[in-house]
Amino acid sequence: MVSSLSLNMADLKEDLVFAEITEQLNKNVPAEEIFKELQLGMEIIGERYQSQQYYLSELIMAADIFKNAAKNLQDKFQSTDKKIATIVLGTVSGDIHDIGKDIVSLIFTTNGFEVIDLGVDVPIQKFIDAIREHKPEFVGISCLLTTAFDNMKKTIETIKEEGLGSNVKILIGGGPVDKGTSNYVGADEVCEDAPSGVEIAKKLLEVK
Amino acid sequence: MTSTTDLFNERLNRIRTAVELRKPDRVPIVPLGDSFCANHLGEKVSDFCTIPKLSNEIMLKSFTSLGEVDGLQHVSFYVHMLSSIWLSKLKIPGRDLPDDELWQVDEVELMKIEDYDFIIEKGYNTFLGEYYMTRLDNLGEKLNPFLESFPGAIKATIDLGIVPFSPAIVTIPYENFCGGRSMVAFMRDLYRIPDKVQAAMDVAIEDIVNNTRQLLQTVKPIAIWVGGWRAASEFLAPHLWQRFVWPYYKRIIEVVVEEGVIPVLHFDSDWTRDLEYLRELPKAKCIFSPDGMTDIFKAKEILDGHMCIMGDVPAAMLTLGSPEEVSEYSKRLINEIGPSGFILAQGCDIPPNAKPENVKAMIDAVKL
Repeated sequence: MVSSLSLNMADLKEDLVFAEITEQLNKNVPAEEIFKELQLGMEIIGERYQSQQYYLSELIMAADIFKNAAKNLQDKFQSTDKKIATIVLGTVSGDIHDIGKDIVSLIFTTNGFEVIDLGVDVPIQKFIDAIREHKPEFVGISCLLTTAFDNMKKTIETIKEEGLGSNVKILIGGGPVDKGTSNYVGADEVCEDAPSGVEIAKKLLEVK
Repeated sequence: MTSTTDLFNERLNRIRTAVELRKPDRVPIVPLGDSFCANHLGEKVSDFCTIPKLSNEIMLKSFTSLGEVDGLQHVSFYVHMLSSIWLSKLKIPGRDLPDDELWQVDEVELMKIEDYDFIIEKGYNTFLGEYYMTRLDNLGEKLNPFLESFPGAIKATIDLGIVPFSPAIVTIPYENFCGGRSMVAFMRDLYRIPDKVQAAMDVAIEDIVNNTRQLLQTVKPIAIWVGGWRAASEFLAPHLWQRFVWPYYKRIIEVVVEEGVIPVLHFDSDWTRDLEYLRELPKAKCIFSPDGMTDIFKAKEILDGHMCIMGDVPAAMLTLGSPEEVSEYSKRLINEIGPSGFILAQGCDIPPNAKPENVKAMIDAVKL
């Protein structure tokens, strides 16, 4: 059964979410358990987004509530939960758009992924260095400008040339990005939006 | 031999016939290209976007070299105009970026939460005056070169027999506020302080309406863009869209029609969910211009017999596709969305790295 905290999170009832977190902490409920309930709320939000009950406006609001709530909990964590996978994420060089990338970062985080967010206008070398350092299962590259397609292609080519392509799956997304773009740049998968990106990643990992 | 005046009248008549939902002799083609034209002719983007007269010359030269267009949506470009729409600073080629990169809106929280109160108390025009001066580095003065070059750009276009179709842009408070506040902060405002945001919008729309009437009466354009970007249905829950977006579009569009000008609903991103609302607008007076993200075939189903549609050869197809693909898609549009009540164009803007042969294929498609 879904807890009232998860439901309040899913319904974006900010005041009730914070009141309930305080109440549970006062009752010595472990921070990890509270966090899991919030994550479940975020999963419901993802489902509502995909069934078009929710839109970007709700994802942004959810992101804010979740971020503030998580801030209160994380310093109280007793143990570190193992992440299901790591994704190195960034908006490609030549493009400074961040909203889509930030939403992807949030949705992956709340679904148990470790997100290494490299920011916007990310040079190729920064992707390469991050892949070497973090050994992710996924690289997520986003762009909103068609002029950045070539940089996306170069980034992916370099990842492969450096011998890093066989261990990572490359996911791409962003306004004008479609299957044709994916073929052009040599990506593994196109993600239509953040929740479908999570779905694709989980499918590739063969987890629920 | 047909004079350029005859040619202009023939083309204008073709466009008007489409807007009035009657069948023209052929579907009109009215594209929009800015940085594409600079790249096509090897002009520095940094010069193109900061010298309005040059942008007009380049646009006319680029399009006339590619084929016969009936009109151009815009006839000149000036990068600082973008700041006035989104109340944001810009990254400009030649100043902040290499000469041939595309300009980008640098979205930060430049408009503060207390600005809503200022707008409510002092009015939107007063707010804009102060905002342009202090937060956009005296934007008002920066816009002068565009305004000074504008009549010349219109005349140079007409002199070639090309219709300068929709050479100015207006929009609703939502778009201005969203740009000024930055999208994430603004969407939080819609949830946390909805009444205050609405009160500021209600004040702002009155000044926008008056400014728009003044603009239309001075410039007397054939059409004007009523722009929609972040206000798209795909970004907002219906209850927010119905409250903060639609009433303001309806108001401004009706004002444009009252002034005898054609509103071009230049709506980027996906508006499919709310297309039914567009039927509330005056019949055969407006143009719906989606960018390739709205389902244009669904739009045809819903708006058929009510509103002209313009579009929507997608940016990715113009960049990565072949002339054959562009030609085939354009023909499909002409046959399925047209031939009545349809104007062929790209979706949104021809991207900077579109292949010229693809743009030519789109322009030529109306004659196939």
